[in-house]
Amino acid sequence: MPSASLVFQSVVLGVLLGGLYALLAAGLTLYFGVMRVVMIAHSAFLILAAYLAWYAHRETGIDPLLTLVVTVPLFFAAGVAMQRLLLTRLRPATLTMMSVLLTFSVALTIEGLLGYAFSGTQRRIRLGYSSAGFEFLGARIAAVKLIAFGMAALALLGLYVLMKHSRFGQALRATIQHREAAQLLGIDTDRIAGYGFGLGLATAAVGGTALALDTTIYPSLHWHWIGPLMAIIVVGGLGSVPGAAIAAMTLGMLQSLLQLELSTTWAQTVFYVALFATLAFRPQGFFGGRLAQRF
Amino acid sequence: MRPTRRLQGRIAAGTLTLALAASGCAGGSGSEDSSDDSIVIGVSLPLTGDFSEPGKGVERGYKAWAKIVNDKGGLLGRKVELKILDDQSNADRVVSDYEQLIGRDEVDLVFGPFSTRLVVPSARVAEEYGMLFVEPAGAAPEVFDQGFKNLFYAAPAVANDHYNHLADYILALPAGERPKSVAYAAMDDPFAQGTAYGLKEKLEKGGIKTVVDEVYPPNTTDFGSIAAKIADSKADMVVGGSQYQDGVNLIVALQQLNYQPKMAAFSTAPTEPEFAKAIGNKTEGILAPTGYTQKADYPSNKEFVEKYTKQFGKAPEEDEANAYTTGQVVAAAVEAADCASQDPECQSKLVDWLRGNEVETVVGPLKWDDKGRPQSAHMIQQWIDGEIQIVLPEAQKEADLVHPKPAW
Repeated sequence: MPSASLVFQSVVLGVLLGGLYALLAAGLTLYFGVMRVVMIAHSAFLILAAYLAWYAHRETGIDPLLTLVVTVPLFFAAGVAMQRLLLTRLRPATLTMMSVLLTFSVALTIEGLLGYAFSGTQRRIRLGYSSAGFEFLGARIAAVKLIAFGMAALALLGLYVLMKHSRFGQALRATIQHREAAQLLGIDTDRIAGYGFGLGLATAAVGGTALALDTTIYPSLHWHWIGPLMAIIVVGGLGSVPGAAIAAMTLGMLQSLLQLELSTTWAQTVFYVALFATLAFRPQGFFGGRLAQRF
Repeated sequence: MRPTRRLQGRIAAGTLTLALAASGCAGGSGSEDSSDDSIVIGVSLPLTGDFSEPGKGVERGYKAWAKIVNDKGGLLGRKVELKILDDQSNADRVVSDYEQLIGRDEVDLVFGPFSTRLVVPSARVAEEYGMLFVEPAGAAPEVFDQGFKNLFYAAPAVANDHYNHLADYILALPAGERPKSVAYAAMDDPFAQGTAYGLKEKLEKGGIKTVVDEVYPPNTTDFGSIAAKIADSKADMVVGGSQYQDGVNLIVALQQLNYQPKMAAFSTAPTEPEFAKAIGNKTEGILAPTGYTQKADYPSNKEFVEKYTKQFGKAPEEDEANAYTTGQVVAAAVEAADCASQDPECQSKLVDWLRGNEVETVVGPLKWDDKGRPQSAHMIQQWIDGEIQIVLPEAQKEADLVHPKPAW
């Protein structure tokens, strides 16, 4: 039986991990909500952002967090461009299915270019505070993990405020809920969808930078992330940002706690067990709305 | 998978025998001794895919060996020529590559590929054809458990023996200084696990308790939970059966939890050139086994380091050195047996010679047991004053082992 302090330490690690998962999954569920697009390349963009942070840090020595000033707008623009130039060309009838293929190819392209530019060598940002931490009620919290969690929390809060309290957010939610009705109300749903996609990709910039703070990165790392993230958004209910966040926290915590009793290999399967259980007993997800029921 | 592959090998071997018999009946002249006189050596390497980085290192080592040999006039007065195929790190591909090299291209000799996962299937092909199979990178126990008779591993020691010098050192410490409990974390990989479990077995036999024994999949990047378990156990010593990124991530995760062991040993990662930078120079006291160092003063090593550096613009690492060693081992056998061809008599002469003799290489003198396991041990290095230095064995050491290790 693990000691109480170890359990508490694992809970702390689980919360920190879940926060990062929540941010990474939020973008993914947004694409689906706005556009019914399954964005396989989301995690490839995460790794791209992580590489940009690493590269900027290596070349100029600036703190990787500062790269967000560039990468967030850049990724937003890339998202809008990708939606307007590529995804709108897919036939609406087969959009969801074909988007898997299209974004899969985008993911492969990004991975290939990263490998070409930076080779397959594993990279890590060297930070003065990478192993710093502090005591919290007997548990130890690493500074970088807390920063990553803070970034995730801020980005999610920003997303929430934007969605709930701005005209753009209202339009975006209207587009998610019922596209035709939104059009009847005079919302330019194509433009909104483009911005929504950009917003999703902007979260990838934040998530990737957070990721780069505390892990080694390599071009094919994104395959490791996309599976758990897909599972999270299905469990949370496709298209539901709060659902994705809650599912991410829950599964991140479960993974962390399961590692106490099971091996790391088995603890990772929690995402897929949750995915199977959700599809078998509650295909619309646990927190999602009506949207997911149609699929 | 295995029975199928073995069957394929048999069928292919059968086909080859038929083909040879047919050509023998026709009385056709052997193509290899008429057209050109070079010794062709067939290799399949993972030049793309998962093992592409080390695979390219092995390729450079082989190329350096061929160049150095040819610059001196070749082997038995004949030039050596490498025929290298890319197996894409794929175990099925590596089998068909070696079948092609031996069967269709009729190479005179073969060298092994990189890493256990590719060495085992390709060694089986070489075995079916009766070819000598010297390999630079299959150190896991399963390589030697297959009953291969033609296989030789061209490095100082198999994975489980990497820490032998360290185990001896620890068990010889006075009881008060000896670590009492050890935490092990190993990647789910035959080589990485082999290193950690070799040490574990010896320390457990010596009465040192195992308090954590974790295995993680190769793609793990989050080591928070494993580190939490190790830190909670307060083990005196931590041993990582690591490759590269996992070792780095685990060390940083342990440092984040402010875990301060008296001894810390990790395989592979600490010997990589990027290591110190990756963990922000908090390397003090970390131990690692190594099979090769550019500084070793074996006569052929000086030549290798100098000529390799001239050819490639940087000094060779362990993968390059083990590939070069493979070349040296095969060359020694070829010169002693005075032949280099697929002829079964020649190949068995090569195998028999290696079975009974010692070869001088860039990693020191090597000899093998009847399963092809090299009989030396790895040196142990330690990070001292920001530099990795040899601390064990006594005869080769550059510095004294620091124990207990300073805080990291």
